[in-house]
Amino acid sequence: MSSDQDHIKETDTEKRFEFKKEEKSAFEAEKGLTEETIRVISEDKDEPEWMLERRLRALEQFKQMPMPDGWPGAPDLSEIDVDEIVPYIRPDIETRGGVDDWNDLPEEIQDTFDKLGIPEAEKNALSGVGAQYESEIVYQNMQEQWEEKGVVFCDMDKALQEHEELVREHFMTKAVPPSDNKFAALHGAIWSGGSFVYVPEDTSVDMPIQAYFRMNSDGMGQFEHTLIIAEESSEVHYIEGCSAPKYSEFNLHSGGVEVFVGENAHVQYSTVQNWSKNTYNLNTKRAICEADGTMEWVSGSMGSKATMLYPSTVLKGPGATDNHITIAMAGEGQNIDTGAKVYHNAPDTKSTIESKSISKDGGRTNYRGLVHIADGAEGASTSVECDALMFDNESTSDTMPYMEIQESKVDVAHEATVGKIGDEDVFYLQSRGLDDDDAKQMIVAGFIEPLTEELPIEYAVEMNRLIELEMEGSLG
Amino acid sequence: MSTQVHANLTEEQVTQISEELDEPEWLLETRLDAYEALDSLDMPDVIRTPGRDWTNLDALDYETLVDPLDWDEEKDRVDAEGVDVLSWSDALDEHGDLIEEQFGSAVDTQRDYLTALSTALFSAGTVVYVPEGVDAEDVKIRTTMNSRSLFNYTLVVAEESSSVTILERQTTGTNVDGEQYYSGIVEVAAEENSSVQYGTLQNLDDDSYNFQVKRGHAGTYATVDWIEGNIGSRLTKSNVETRLLGDASESQIVGAFFGHEDQHFDIASRVWHEAEHTTADLVTRGVLDDAARSVYEGVQDVGREAWDTNSYQRENTLMLSDESEADASPKLIINNHDTEASHSATVGQVDEEDMFYMTSRSVDPESAENMLVEGFFVPVFEEIAVDELREDLDDLVVERLRE
Repeated sequence: MSSDQDHIKETDTEKRFEFKKEEKSAFEAEKGLTEETIRVISEDKDEPEWMLERRLRALEQFKQMPMPDGWPGAPDLSEIDVDEIVPYIRPDIETRGGVDDWNDLPEEIQDTFDKLGIPEAEKNALSGVGAQYESEIVYQNMQEQWEEKGVVFCDMDKALQEHEELVREHFMTKAVPPSDNKFAALHGAIWSGGSFVYVPEDTSVDMPIQAYFRMNSDGMGQFEHTLIIAEESSEVHYIEGCSAPKYSEFNLHSGGVEVFVGENAHVQYSTVQNWSKNTYNLNTKRAICEADGTMEWVSGSMGSKATMLYPSTVLKGPGATDNHITIAMAGEGQNIDTGAKVYHNAPDTKSTIESKSISKDGGRTNYRGLVHIADGAEGASTSVECDALMFDNESTSDTMPYMEIQESKVDVAHEATVGKIGDEDVFYLQSRGLDDDDAKQMIVAGFIEPLTEELPIEYAVEMNRLIELEMEGSLG
Repeated sequence: MSTQVHANLTEEQVTQISEELDEPEWLLETRLDAYEALDSLDMPDVIRTPGRDWTNLDALDYETLVDPLDWDEEKDRVDAEGVDVLSWSDALDEHGDLIEEQFGSAVDTQRDYLTALSTALFSAGTVVYVPEGVDAEDVKIRTTMNSRSLFNYTLVVAEESSSVTILERQTTGTNVDGEQYYSGIVEVAAEENSSVQYGTLQNLDDDSYNFQVKRGHAGTYATVDWIEGNIGSRLTKSNVETRLLGDASESQIVGAFFGHEDQHFDIASRVWHEAEHTTADLVTRGVLDDAARSVYEGVQDVGREAWDTNSYQRENTLMLSDESEADASPKLIINNHDTEASHSATVGQVDEEDMFYMTSRSVDPESAENMLVEGFFVPVFEEIAVDELREDLDDLVVERLRE
C-alpha cells in the first residue's frame, strides 16, 4: 500500500464509524412537522418565496399519501413517527454554506471528518469534496482547475442563492416530483443541505467529486438534496458516502437525488451507505438521460436498519444507456430492500442491471426492480442479473423483478440465482492454508468484485473493510 | 369494492343450486359461508406498478355475465381402469366422507372474491378418485360450455402409491352468443408416493372471460405436474400452484399460451417448498400476435424448513406484432440457504438471423415465421409427457398460425 493510502490503513475502520460527538448546534427545529416548522426552516435559510411554496405544497402531498408498506417482504416502517424527528439542525458554524478551508472548521467537526478520512482523500484522489454534518454542508471545496472551467460544486443552499434559475427549473420538477412517493414528498417539504453539481458542455471532470453525509444527533432526520446537471458531452463521477453513529432512537434519512444527463454526457453516481443500524434509509434517486447519454448507478448498501432504495433512470433520448450495479448486505435485524428502475422511452436504448446481495444472521435482502419498455422504443435491450448469497438458514433473500414490455423489437433478459456459500470453495481455500473466516471473507470479496472494480481505490478499500467488519461480527 | 354480482345474487339461489344437486348439509353450508364472505372479499390480486395495472378485473361486468341458475354444459368423461371419474352427485353418493374431508383443503374456498363466487355457485364438475396402488392413464374430461356462465369444480384424490394422468379440454358450444364467464377450480390431493399429472387445454370462445385456480398438495415422495395450455378466451386469469408438503416431493408446471387479436392472458405459476429435498421446475413459453397482452407471474417460495431445495423457473415470450405487450415478474423468495434456485425470463421477437437463414433457403417469409413460432414451442412440447395433449396443442398452434 502506498503512502497515499496511509490514512485508510492507519485509521481503525470500526472507530471511524462508531464514534459519537456531543451535539452542539446553533439552531434546532422543534420536533415534528408543521407548516410553522417549514416556514421557520425556509426563513432561517433565507430562501426565495417559490421554494417556500414548493415546500408547503410537498407537505400537503406528504400528508395525503399512504406509507409505502403494502409490498410483500418490504421493511416494516411502523416505527417511523415523523413527529418524533428533528428535521433540521444547523451546526454551530458562523459561515453560511460552509467554509472552504478545512482549518476553519470547528475542531469537533474537523475531528469527525478526519476520522472518516475526508480531507486526505480529497488531497489524493478527488476533484472536490463536500461534507455535510447534520442538516447543512460544513465544508466544501473544489480544486481550482475545475472552477476555472466553469464546473460548479457547492451546497444546495448556496446554489439556491447563486444559481437560482437553474435550481428553479430542475429542483423536484422533472425527475423526482414530490408526488412520486410519501418520502419524496417529505423530502420536498423539509430538505436541507446536499450538493449542487453543474458541469458545462464538453467538460470532463476526470477525478471524482465527493460528498460525505453524517448524522450525529439522536432522533435526527437527514434530508439532503443532490442535483447534478451534466451538459452536452460532459463527464462527471460523483461519490456519496453516508454514516451515523448508533443511538437508541431511530434516525431517518430521506435523501433526494436528481441527475440530468445531457446529450452524449456521462454521469456516474456512486454511493456507499453505512448508516448506523437504527437508521431508516428511504431515498428517491432518479436520472433523466438524453440521447446517447450514459448514466451509471453504483450502490453499496451495508448499513441502516431498513433501506428502500431503487435508483431509477429514464432513458429519454435515442441511444441512451443505463448501467446499475447494486450490492446489498444485510446482517442481523436488517432489511435491505433495493433494486433498480429503468424506463426505456426511446429507440435503441440499453440498460444493464447487476445486483448482488448477501444475507446472514437473520438479515433480509430484497431485489425489487422494474424495467419498462415503452411502445416505440424499438431496438431497446435490457439485461438484468441478480445473484444472492446466503450464509445461514435464518436469513432471507427475495428477488422480485417486474418487466413491462410494450414494444416487440426488443431484447429482454432477466436471470437470477440464489445459492449458499459453497462448501467446496471453502474447503479449497482451507486446504491452501486459510482459516474458515478468511476463506469466507475471500469468497464474499470475490462475489462483490464487480462493484468494487467500479469504485476509486479509496472506496473500494473502504467497501472491503466494511465487509470485513460485518463478517467479523458474524464469524468471530 | 366487490358488489358486481351481489345485486342479482341471493342466498335462495345458492340454496336452490345445492338442493337441485341433492347435496349434503355440509356442502350447502360451505356454499353459504362462501356466499356470506363475498361482502368482505377482494378481487384476486393483480400486479400493479406505478402507472400500470397489469390486469384489470374490476372493469368486468359480472352482474351481466353471471346468471347463477342458468347453466348448461356438455360433459364427456372417459375413465380408466380402476379409477372413478364421477359427476358431483354420483361422487357424493359413493365417496361422501372422502369428499367432505378433501373439499376446500388445497384451494381455500374463500381465497378471493371470484373463488368464493365459484364455491357458492358451482354446478358442473368432476371428482376423480384413484384408489391406493392403481396406475391409470388417460382420464379425459371434456367440458363444453353451453350457457352464459359456468362454474366448474374438479377434485382429484390420488391415494398412496397411485398414479393418474388427467386431460381436461375446455371449449364453448356453438349455441352461445355474446360474452361469457367461465370459472374453474381444480384441487389435487396427491398422497404419499403418488403421481398426478393434470393437463388443461383451454380453448374457450373469444368472447369469454376465464378465471381458473388449480392447486395441488404433494405428500411425501409425491409428484404433482401441471400442464396449462391457453389458446382461447378474451381474458384469462389463471393460477396454477403446488405446495410441496412432503419430503422429496416434486412438481413441474409447464405453460404455453398463444394470444392474438385483443386477448389478455394473466398466467401465474407458483410453488411453495415446505419440506426437505423437494424439487420444482416451472417452464412457460408464450407467443403474442396482434394486440394480445400477456402477464406472467412465477413464484418460487422456499420455506425456512425446506432444506436441500432445487427450484428452477424459465419463462420466454415471443412477440410477433408491435401492438402486443408482455409483462413478466418471476419471483424468488428464499428462506433457507441450503437451496439451489434460479429463474430467468426473456422477451423478444423472431430472430432476424433465423429468418434470414430460412428465407435464403427459399422459404417464403410467412412460412418461415410460422415454422420458427412452432419451433419456439418445442422446448415446452418436450416437457409435455401426455402425447395427446401435446399433439392437440401443436394442432391449435398451427391452426392459429394459418389464420
